[in-house]
Amino acid sequence: MFHGSGLFALLLIVLEWTRPGLSSPLRPICDLRVLDHFIKEAWDAEAAMRACKDACSIATNFTVPLTRVDFDVWEAMNIEERAQEVQSGLHVLNEAISSLQASNQTDVLQSHIDASISNIASIRQVLRSLSIPEYVPPTSGGEDKEMQIVSSISELFQVHINFLRGKVRLLLANAPVCHQGVS
Amino acid sequence: MYLLCKWMTKMRSNRLKIVFMLCLAFVTTGGQHFESKVAQLLQDETEHIKCFVEGKDLTCFWEEEEERNHIHDQYTFTYSYEKKNKMACAVSSLYLLASNKTILFCKLPKTPFFTTLDVQVLRDGRMLYTRSLNAENVLFLDPPRNLTVMSSGKEGQLNVSWLPPLLKYMDDSMIYEVRYAVDGSNMGKVEVIKVSTRLVLLGLQSNTRYKVWVRVKPDGVAYKGYWSAWTEPVFGVTPPSDVDPLIVLLVIFIGLILCLLSLTVILSHHKFLLKKLWPDIPTPEHKFPGLFTVYKGDFKEWMSHNNGSMWGRSVPVYTEELPSPLEVLSEVSLTSHGTSQREERKPVEEDEEKESERSDSGLTDRWRDPPHAHWLMEQLRALQENPESRSQSSLLQSHDTYVTLNQGDNEQQVDDVFEETLPLQTLFTTAGTSSLGTSHSDLGSLQQSSGSGRLSSQSSFEYPNHTWPPKGPGYAYMAVADSGVSMDYSPMSSSRIAELGKHRMYTNDYKN
Repeated sequence: MFHGSGLFALLLIVLEWTRPGLSSPLRPICDLRVLDHFIKEAWDAEAAMRACKDACSIATNFTVPLTRVDFDVWEAMNIEERAQEVQSGLHVLNEAISSLQASNQTDVLQSHIDASISNIASIRQVLRSLSIPEYVPPTSGGEDKEMQIVSSISELFQVHINFLRGKVRLLLANAPVCHQGVS
Repeated sequence: MYLLCKWMTKMRSNRLKIVFMLCLAFVTTGGQHFESKVAQLLQDETEHIKCFVEGKDLTCFWEEEEERNHIHDQYTFTYSYEKKNKMACAVSSLYLLASNKTILFCKLPKTPFFTTLDVQVLRDGRMLYTRSLNAENVLFLDPPRNLTVMSSGKEGQLNVSWLPPLLKYMDDSMIYEVRYAVDGSNMGKVEVIKVSTRLVLLGLQSNTRYKVWVRVKPDGVAYKGYWSAWTEPVFGVTPPSDVDPLIVLLVIFIGLILCLLSLTVILSHHKFLLKKLWPDIPTPEHKFPGLFTVYKGDFKEWMSHNNGSMWGRSVPVYTEELPSPLEVLSEVSLTSHGTSQREERKPVEEDEEKESERSDSGLTDRWRDPPHAHWLMEQLRALQENPESRSQSSLLQSHDTYVTLNQGDNEQQVDDVFEETLPLQTLFTTAGTSSLGTSHSDLGSLQQSSGSGRLSSQSSFEYPNHTWPPKGPGYAYMAVADSGVSMDYSPMSSSRIAELGKHRMYTNDYKN
């Protein structure tokens, strides 16, 4: 039994190494219920962090993306700009929450932190399935996206939930791949 | 404009009220449901500053305290996004006719979503109320549009469909509530449905008129908000039940015909059916006239009263001389002759031991010599000639029982005979009338109760006619007649019987 599972794992590793550089096109995930599931988990995390308050205070500041959506401005942006805004924001958010993993937190909070990190990775996969451009770090000459600074864990998770509900969801809801059949 | 409207509310005449309503229409900019939303939030929302988003615009309002004049001049409304620069907003007032209250409100055009908004109300420069909220959490949608209720064709079902309110980006984040009730009734049911804008109502009454309402709310995942107002009710009638009256009539008609047929068959054959279902229990009443009716089953009484007539009737010829018929069961040579001889006759039967007899055939024992066989045949012939005796024999035939007696010494045999007769005697005398009267089939149980296993096995009355086998040593006879239903004599003294040589034993198994 062990030999069988070991061989299987070895086979998977080999296949992973030898997979082509360009990933095979994934089936587009247009159903927003997938993202809604992550948003619901983010709500739970935000509620848990809001409740802990004193125990969750940390002396460091977090750099987080802006969550504000002006519909006029958003509608004026093209898909690439929207994609860049979302991808950079997810990247920054991921870094901020990952920095929390090192700190000593309770098991409940740690589970929320781990779930949020894995959800961000899953959202990235969803965006990849919709052929949305990946995050490109800004070159030295280019402008960085506007960010904001927050000083508490509860604020960090508020930004997290607002970002997912807002920009990420709007991007997914209007992905061109999902609306190709619709006139 | 607003002061003019307020002045006009004080006028009572109808025309001025119409003017006021038109005035109000001017005042209320934005959605047609603005005032109703304000009125609803005024009741439901607990915060001082009540805010809601209608379309893309955020409106915040608060209730004006009375006793104030020139209200809108004194209030200041400021707001800021993400703790940045504070901005001011123009304050307006609105009088609600329904609740007789005045509210002050401010509209923020093109409110950014997914970000924190801080609002403050200042009166005369001093902070009155403050609140921090997100615009995407206070959505107050318009009711659904184009509600239609149609019959689906199936019994107890209605198809309900509607269109969502006009809003971008939120079509897939809405949850609906459908309320329906029988027209005229106050008892309504509510169904909640997500995203989909059509619903089939099930389990409704047939051929009934129903009222249906719908309202909408953000589902709470991406957007949050308040329940919208109910739509205007739309009526629908459920289809009538499927059962065709013609089919019902036909079924009833066929059922009636079948009932009549069965009744006819039953009535024509009722005697036969009755006999099959409820067979008559045979009674010996006709053989024992008056035993059960006059003497209530008291056999002693019956015997004593009927003895003369019965025996006279049944045995007219053989009163003194001829014994009761018996079956020859065994041949045994006897030592002495005299004491063993006992005439089977009526006088013997009239003995006390005779009380044990139940039938016309007496309880007798006789000794018969083999050489007297020819005498036996003569008796048989004589009996045949006598019709009355034949009747008795027929009686005997019908009440055959089988009893065997064992022979030994005369005295012993006599004793044996006595012993053997005693059980029968006790059988007949114990329990009096009740035992005999209740069931003529209880002799077996009587026997068991008396513990008399001393009766020999059943004696069969072999001779078809009423014969009186001649006396002779070596044979003991005993005839007992019973109802023929349930005499159960256990084999008696089987060891003694076995001692005998060749013997014939006829057993008749009676089943109780």
